[in-house]
Amino acid sequence: MITEEEILEIAVLSKLYVPEEQLEQLTKDMAEILAFADTINTAGAQAEVYEGLDGLSNVFREDEVEQSYPIQEILQNVGGGENGYFPVHKSR
Amino acid sequence: MREYELIAGLETHIELSTKTKIFCSCTTAFGGEPNTHCCPICIGLPGTLPKLNRQAVRYGILAGLATNCTINPVSKMDRKNYVYPDLPKAYQVSQYDKPLCSDGYILLDSGRKIRLTRIHIEEDAGKLVHERGNSFVDYNRGGVPLIEIVTEPDFRSVDEVREYVEKLQLLMKYIGVSDCKMQEGSLRCDVNISVRPKGSLALGTRTEIKNMNSFAFMEQALEYEFERQVDLLESGEPVVQETLRYNDMTGETESMRSKEDAHDYRYFKEPDLVTICTSPEEIEQLRALLPELPDRKKARYLSMGIHEGGAAALIRSRKVAEFFDEAAKGLQTPQLAAAFIVGQMFSRYSTATQRDEWETPVTPSQLHELCVMVESGRCNRGLAKTTFEKMMDTGKGATAFLSADDLAEIDNNQLKKICQEVLAENVSAVQSYLGGKETALKALVGAVMRKTRGRANAAKAEQLLVDSLKKG
Amino acid sequence: MTGMIEKLNSLLQKKKISCIELTRAYLNGIARDNGVLNAYVRVTEERALETAAVVDHKLAAGQILSPLEGIPMTLKDNISTRGVETTCCSKILQGYTPIYDASVWQTLKRQNAVLLGKTNMDEFAMGSSCETSCYGGAVNPFDIDCVAGGSSGGGAAAVAGNLAAYALGSDTGGSIRQPAGFCGLVGLKPTYGTVSRFGLIAYASSLDQIGPLCKSVADTALVFDAISCQDPMDSTSIGQKEPTWPQLTQKPEKLIIGIVKEYFKGVNPQIEKALQNAVHTYEKMGAEIVKLSMPAVSYALPVYYILACAEASSNLGRYDGIRYGYRTKHYNSVYEMICKTRSEGFGPEVQRRILLGSYVLSAGYYDAYYKKAQNLRGAVVQGFDEAFSRCDVILAPTVPATAFPKGFAAQDQVQTYQTDVCTVPVNIAGIPALSMPCGYDKKGLPIGMQLIANRFEEAKLLQIAYQFEQATDGEFYRKTKWGCCQYA
Repeated sequence: MITEEEILEIAVLSKLYVPEEQLEQLTKDMAEILAFADTINTAGAQAEVYEGLDGLSNVFREDEVEQSYPIQEILQNVGGGENGYFPVHKSR
Repeated sequence: MREYELIAGLETHIELSTKTKIFCSCTTAFGGEPNTHCCPICIGLPGTLPKLNRQAVRYGILAGLATNCTINPVSKMDRKNYVYPDLPKAYQVSQYDKPLCSDGYILLDSGRKIRLTRIHIEEDAGKLVHERGNSFVDYNRGGVPLIEIVTEPDFRSVDEVREYVEKLQLLMKYIGVSDCKMQEGSLRCDVNISVRPKGSLALGTRTEIKNMNSFAFMEQALEYEFERQVDLLESGEPVVQETLRYNDMTGETESMRSKEDAHDYRYFKEPDLVTICTSPEEIEQLRALLPELPDRKKARYLSMGIHEGGAAALIRSRKVAEFFDEAAKGLQTPQLAAAFIVGQMFSRYSTATQRDEWETPVTPSQLHELCVMVESGRCNRGLAKTTFEKMMDTGKGATAFLSADDLAEIDNNQLKKICQEVLAENVSAVQSYLGGKETALKALVGAVMRKTRGRANAAKAEQLLVDSLKKG
Repeated sequence: MTGMIEKLNSLLQKKKISCIELTRAYLNGIARDNGVLNAYVRVTEERALETAAVVDHKLAAGQILSPLEGIPMTLKDNISTRGVETTCCSKILQGYTPIYDASVWQTLKRQNAVLLGKTNMDEFAMGSSCETSCYGGAVNPFDIDCVAGGSSGGGAAAVAGNLAAYALGSDTGGSIRQPAGFCGLVGLKPTYGTVSRFGLIAYASSLDQIGPLCKSVADTALVFDAISCQDPMDSTSIGQKEPTWPQLTQKPEKLIIGIVKEYFKGVNPQIEKALQNAVHTYEKMGAEIVKLSMPAVSYALPVYYILACAEASSNLGRYDGIRYGYRTKHYNSVYEMICKTRSEGFGPEVQRRILLGSYVLSAGYYDAYYKKAQNLRGAVVQGFDEAFSRCDVILAPTVPATAFPKGFAAQDQVQTYQTDVCTVPVNIAGIPALSMPCGYDKKGLPIGMQLIANRFEEAKLLQIAYQFEQATDGEFYRKTKWGCCQYA
C-alpha cells in the first residue's frame, strides 16, 4: 500500500506539487491504480525481456554539419529571450 | 599519529572532436554566440527524436581499444532522468548497464595498473550562466558527444592521479578522438576520494570533488581534501558522503548545493534509439586505425638509444613524434634527429599548442638529409647546427646553404699542410701537449677545424697532428 | 466501391468543383457546427485557402493531382506544425508554436493537403474520452450527449461530423481505434515503425503510432500509403512492407479468422451480437473460423499502463516553462518555478500518470513493475506470434461498450482504463489493427469491429476489411447531419 510519504517523494522526483488538501485523495487514487498494476504479478507467464522491434540495430547518422536554426527561431517561444539566452530567473 | 593513505577513483568526461553533436547535425565548434548552434533536437522541443552519430560510437570504441578495454558486442543507450535547466529533455541520454567498453587499464610509469571499469558515450548538457542573481541557459554545448571513463579506486597518491590524467589526455589526443583541453572544458575530472589508516583494508567514506578545470586546481583540491578527511578522522569525526566543489580562491573544498535529489535517475532503455552491435571485424578494422601509442613509442625510442628526457619530450605530441619517426628512418644515429628536434626546434616551438600543431616549414626529409650529411662526416655538427637554423628560417633544404666547397672533404695533402700550419701557429699548445697535457691536442684540432671552416674530418686531423707531434 | 477521397479527387480533377469551393464548404461547416462538436481546437482558415489556391492553380494549368492533393483534412493537436500552435490540448503548451514540421505533415504538405485545423484530444493523449482536454471534450456526432472517444476524439468527431475528409490521429493504447469505433469510422493503427514519429509529441515512445481516421477502407489505404515511409529522422522507423492501395481489391485465397476468447469477456451483448453477425458475413465469404485463447491479453492492460506511464513520466519531464509553453507567474526559486509550472500546467490525469510512471521506475520498484512489465511484453508478442501461426487476422471488439455518456470517464479511473482492454494488446505487440463499423446499438451509437494482423501485414488487413465493406455494401457507414459539404 503506497503511503502519503511515498507519494510526496515521488512528487519531488516528478517535480510536481501535491497540495495538502489533495494528498489523501491522491494517495487513495494511486493505491487503486497500483493495485491494478500489481495484477501483473499474478501472471505466470515469463518470457525474454522485450528487446524492441524486429532486431533493429545500428541506425546511425553520418558526422556531417548542417546549418543550425537561426537564434530568433530558437528563442521564439520565450519571446526572444534575453541577450541571446533563455532566462531562468530565480525569483519573480 | 597514525599514517593515512589516500584512495581515489576518477570519472573523466572527455568531449569528442566529432564535427557534429551526438544526436543532431549541429556543429560542435567551440565558442559561438549563445544558442546559435542549436536545432529542435538539441533543445529538446516536443516531438523531436535523436539520431546517433556514427563517428561518436567509433571514437568511443577507439578510446576503448587504446586503453585495453573489451569492446562489448552489444551495447545500448539509456535515459538518465533528472531535472536541471541545462538539460532540455529532463533526461540525459547515456549508457547504464551495457556500456560501449569495459575492463581496460592504463599503466603508470611505475608499473602500477589503473583499472578502467568502463567507457561509455553520452550527451553533454547546455551551460548555465549566472549573473546578478539570475540564471541564463546557452544550449550550444547541449548534445556535444562525451565519453565517460570510470576507474576503479586504484589511485594511492595525488601524483598518480596527475600522471593518469596526463597519460589519458595524451592517449586521447594521439588517437584523435579529442583535443582534451581542460581549460576549454573538453576534459573534465571528478574525483572520488577517501582515506584510511595505512594497513587497513576497509575503504573509508568517500567524497566526490567535481568540476576541477586545471591540473593545478586538481592537485590542490585533492591535497586539501586528503588533509581535511585525515583531520576529521583524527578528531574522531566521521567523513560525510557528499559532493564537493573546489573553491580556488579559498583553496578549500566546499559542499555543492545539491542538484535537488538527483539521486534516483530511474534509468531505462532509451526507446527512441536502437541497440549498437559491433562485430569482431569492425573492431579489428578500428584497431587497425590506431597509431603507435605513446608508451610503445617511448619504449622504442629508448631502445634506439635516445635518452629518457628526449624520448619523453618527443612523444608528448603525436605530430612531433611522427615527424621524428620519418626523419630518423634509416639513420644509424637517430639520436641526431632527436637532438635537432629537442635541442633546436623546441626552442622555437615552445608551447604545448605549438608542439601539438607542429607547423614547421622544415620537412622530415630535409632533416633526414641533414642528419645523413652529419653521419657520413661530410658536414660537422657545428655547421649542421647553424645550417639548421637557416633551414627553419626559410624552409629550404641544407643544400641551399652549404656549397659544394663546404661539403667537399679536404683531401689528405691539403689537410697535412693545414696541420703543419696549425702546429706552427700554436706553439704554446704544442709545448703543452709535449709536456704531457693531452687536452692541448683538442685545442689544436679545434684550430684545424676553424681553419677549414668545418670541412675537415676531425678524427683524421687529430691523427695527423699526433703523428707530426710524435715525430717531433 | 470508391472511397470518398478518390471521389473528391475526381471532382477536383474534372473541375466539377474548385479546391477553394471545396475547402470553403468544409470551413463553413466548421464555423456552423464546431461550437457543438468541439472537434477543432484551432482552425487554420487562411492557410487552408492558400493551399487550395495553389491546387486550383495547378488544375488551371492542366496538371494531374496526386491522390491526396487538395483534400481538406486535419491533424491531431499533438502533431507538430511549424507556425501553427500545437498544444496537446494542455495548458502547459498554450502558446507553443513549433519551429519545425512533423515528418508526416511535411510529406502531406508537399502534396498540398489542405489543413483545415488542429483537432481536439485528451491532454497529452492520456485518456479515453477526450474529456481531459483543456478545451473540453469533443462530442459524438451520432449523439452529442456522448463522447467522441479518446484520445483522438477531435479527429473522429471532425470526420464523422463531415467537417474533414480524413484526419490523422495517434494511437498508443487504442486512441485511434476507440474513437473510430465510437464514431462509426475506419481507424488504423499501423505496425510500430511504419509511420515516422518525428514531430509527434511523445506520450509513450515505444507504443505511439500515427494513423488515419477515414470514412472507408479505401480512404484508409490511400492515406496510410501516403504517410508511411522509412524516415531518417526517426531511428525506430522502418516504413511499410508494400503499398496497400494497389492491391486493396484482391481477395485473399484462403482466409482464417481467429476469435480470441479473452477479448469477449465482459462485452456488451449488443456488441457481441454485431460481431457474431460480422463473423457470419466472413463465413459466407468462405472464411474459416478458429477459436483461440491468449492468456496474455488478460494482463496486457496493467502491462500497458506500467510501460506507458513510465515512458510518459520521462517524456513529460521537459515541460518546465524554460524554453516554451506556460510558466507560472510567482516563485522564489528555480525549483519552485518548475514545480508550480508543472502542477498548474498539467491536468490531474496527466499528473497521476506521471506519478505512477516515476514510481514504477524508481529504485526499489523497478524490478517488480517496469522490468516485470517488459518481460510480460515479450510474452504478449509471443502470444500473438502463436495466434498468427494459426490464423490470418483476429476479429475482436474494439471496445466492450459503445460511446460513453459525457462525464462518465472521470468517475472511476480504473474502470475507464478497463475499457482499453481490447485495444491495448496490439500496441504492446507493435502489430497493426483497425476498427471499422459493423453495427449500431439500440441508441443508434456505432459498434466497432477490430481486425488485427501480424506485423507489416497492413495490405492483407486492409484487403480483409475491404471484403467486409463490399459484402455488406457499406451499410454500416451512416452519414451524420453535421457539416455543410455535400460531398463529404
